[in-house]
Amino acid sequence: MKDFEGSLKQLEEIVSKLEGGDLTLDQALELFEEGIKLSRYCNAKLEEAERKVETLIKSADGSLVEAPFTAEGDEARK
Amino acid sequence: MDPLAQRKIYSVQEVTAEIKQALDHFGVLWVQGEISNFKHHTSGHMYFSLKDDRAQLRAACFRNNNMYLKFRPEDGLEVLVRGRISVYEPRGDYQILVEFMEPVGLGSLQLAFEKLKQKLRDEGLFDESHKVRLPLLPRKVGIVTSPTGAAIQDMLRILDRRNASLDILIYPARVQGAGAAEEIAAGVKYFNGRDDIDVIIVTRGGGSMEDLWAFNEEVVARAIHDAERPVISAVGHEVDFTIADFVADLRAPTPSAAAELVSGAREELKATVSSLTRRTLQAARLLLARRRAALERAARNRAFQIAPNKVHELQQRFDEATLRTTQSMMKYQTALRHRERVLQVRLSKVDLRRNIAGDREVLTGKRTRLQAAAGRQLQRWRSRLELDMGRIHALSPLAILDRGYAICRDQQGAILRHADRTAPGDRVDVRLAQGELGCRVEQIRN
Repeated sequence: MKDFEGSLKQLEEIVSKLEGGDLTLDQALELFEEGIKLSRYCNAKLEEAERKVETLIKSADGSLVEAPFTAEGDEARK
Repeated sequence: MDPLAQRKIYSVQEVTAEIKQALDHFGVLWVQGEISNFKHHTSGHMYFSLKDDRAQLRAACFRNNNMYLKFRPEDGLEVLVRGRISVYEPRGDYQILVEFMEPVGLGSLQLAFEKLKQKLRDEGLFDESHKVRLPLLPRKVGIVTSPTGAAIQDMLRILDRRNASLDILIYPARVQGAGAAEEIAAGVKYFNGRDDIDVIIVTRGGGSMEDLWAFNEEVVARAIHDAERPVISAVGHEVDFTIADFVADLRAPTPSAAAELVSGAREELKATVSSLTRRTLQAARLLLARRRAALERAARNRAFQIAPNKVHELQQRFDEATLRTTQSMMKYQTALRHRERVLQVRLSKVDLRRNIAGDREVLTGKRTRLQAAAGRQLQRWRSRLELDMGRIHALSPLAILDRGYAICRDQQGAILRHADRTAPGDRVDVRLAQGELGCRVEQIRN
């Protein structure tokens, strides 16, 4: 799985190649398609997380477990 | 009368007691002076003299008073002390019993702060070379703070407002008072030990220097320094600097600013990605336009008047294909963005504590279908464009000549299609792929 930073860099390279011109139509279309694919991937990555808010609490055996975070301010945030 | 009978004769004890009583009238007083002859007795009590250039005053600071001092008294240090004058009866000395003291000039906390800061700086804990860059796109952030404090509320408010896609995990720690520093350090260590935390934030809201003190403790500084993950320190207000700030990879002036730091890059990146996307589309459009211009130039050439209508028609189709490709890609992008936004808004309205796996599946499914459809569409445009390009090329006058055909025109420049339109002796011009021939007709064969 490629990462976000790598994809962004690749997209930048494609754009400068496309902008440099001097390509056959085939090459241009190929780069174009690849660029759109990368842009879509980057956009997806940017929207991916769910904004889960959790807190750690001590379980009975002393280990830390995750639980949904509920603070007094929670009501106000809805 | 015997004058002696008039005399009041004190015992040593009595006179000492009266002096003691007289001195008690001073009550609590503040004295400033320089420490000399400092002794820290094994009992824990401190004995020293306060002096200036004309006088000395003996002083004692008992263990229960000196154990909370934030600095180490030593000879030569100018201090301000608060205490009561008392008499040490066995020796007949008077002295000041110090309840509190602080160095003059810098407050005691300030002095301790400066000392630790200097020490850690000398050790290289603040060196830029240790600082880790924040990841471009943090996915999960570990926050060490009080779960009931203002800091976490401020941060969550900012993340909400920016609609940031970030997962937050809170390590609840006391952020002031005894044991706070150890809890904060443990939180940093805990997050550093997990492999899903991209950034660690240590934070608390504003307060006095005493309130913020835990973030000036060495144990916190070391934990931050030892962490391999990037650590952001966000303690108090803009004006508050703590040791944690100096050791951390990044200092945020406030908890809200820390929230901006981990979500801000995302907004910038969104802008970067859409700008790159726009440039991809523009560059592709420009390339196609250049091809079209070349084709037009070829068609305009007076020598190639073959089927001008056909060429025009093809040009138009070519134009349309170009437009379809670019405009539809634009439309597709806009539609996809809009769709995602709508789903995102729906997602954000879902109670954060509820399991949102269901909605996520819907979102993923819709996005996949959209993308698949868009991919198919793009493929169709591409094949159509290639087909058109192929046709254009096949019909292009240049291609025909390349294949070995020639164009023959009479002296009026009209293209000859029938041999009987000429007579022997007529001059004709023959255009080849490269160059032209001036010819004379010798014989006509029908």
